[in-house]
Amino acid sequence: MNWTSSTQLDTAFAALSDPTRRAILARLALGEATVSELSKPFALTQPTVSKHLKVLEQAGLIEGARDAQRRPRRLNAAAMKDMAEWLEPFRRLWESRFDNLDRHLATTVKKEK
Amino acid sequence: MPPAADTLAPTGFEIDRATHTIRLTRDFAADPAQVFAAWTQPEQVACWWDAAGEPLARCEIDLRVGGAFAFVSRGHPDMPFAGIYREIAPPAWIVFDAMGAVGRVLLAEAEGGTHMIVEIECATAEQLEQFVKMGVHIGTGRTLDNLVAHLDGAGAA
Repeated sequence: MNWTSSTQLDTAFAALSDPTRRAILARLALGEATVSELSKPFALTQPTVSKHLKVLEQAGLIEGARDAQRRPRRLNAAAMKDMAEWLEPFRRLWESRFDNLDRHLATTVKKEK
Repeated sequence: MPPAADTLAPTGFEIDRATHTIRLTRDFAADPAQVFAAWTQPEQVACWWDAAGEPLARCEIDLRVGGAFAFVSRGHPDMPFAGIYREIAPPAWIVFDAMGAVGRVLLAEAEGGTHMIVEIECATAEQLEQFVKMGVHIGTGRTLDNLVAHLDGAGAA
């Protein structure tokens, strides 16, 4: 992975730094939805929801589904995967730490017996 | 680093995007009191904290609410893992503030051993990004250090 060209990730994380956009994303994780369907549960006007959707769209986190009339939006699974992959070294750091802890506990437990 | 850590010791890892929390889980044969001690006694933390497996250069723990801790690795003495304890409840949990995030270590007894959940909760998604960038930086640095050590050892042999 190329750590220096992280513009896409920067945009994705910045887009997620807003609670309404995270709520919209959580809703879209359940299935595609139109602007009017998204407006109702959030008690927001349609223009406000559209504004948030635009930010999420530019970050590549969501995309328009096929139905051009209703313009439903859905999650872009690939972008989510990019974020998860970017976290992989962090996961490995903690994994090796826990491996150490596991070995350490094995020796201390043995000593006590 | 041990080979095929993924298969030897599966670690649960999930990102809760709604709360910017990274959650890692692990099961140990040791009981919660032993795992709690390994997290809170400096001489024990020094043995396992460094991902590269080196003993820590310095490990300070003031185990009380509001008390500070600092884990300093040999490879990166300029980048200690430091913070303040917020909650201490032996042997069940520890909560601390570190590097702008809230850390939680939850230890539950499970089948004679311990089910451990470690949560790293950032204030915002942006902070999560910064935090992980730092973690990545440290992790990558350690990997390179391992390589250097390995090459040095091979050269000397």
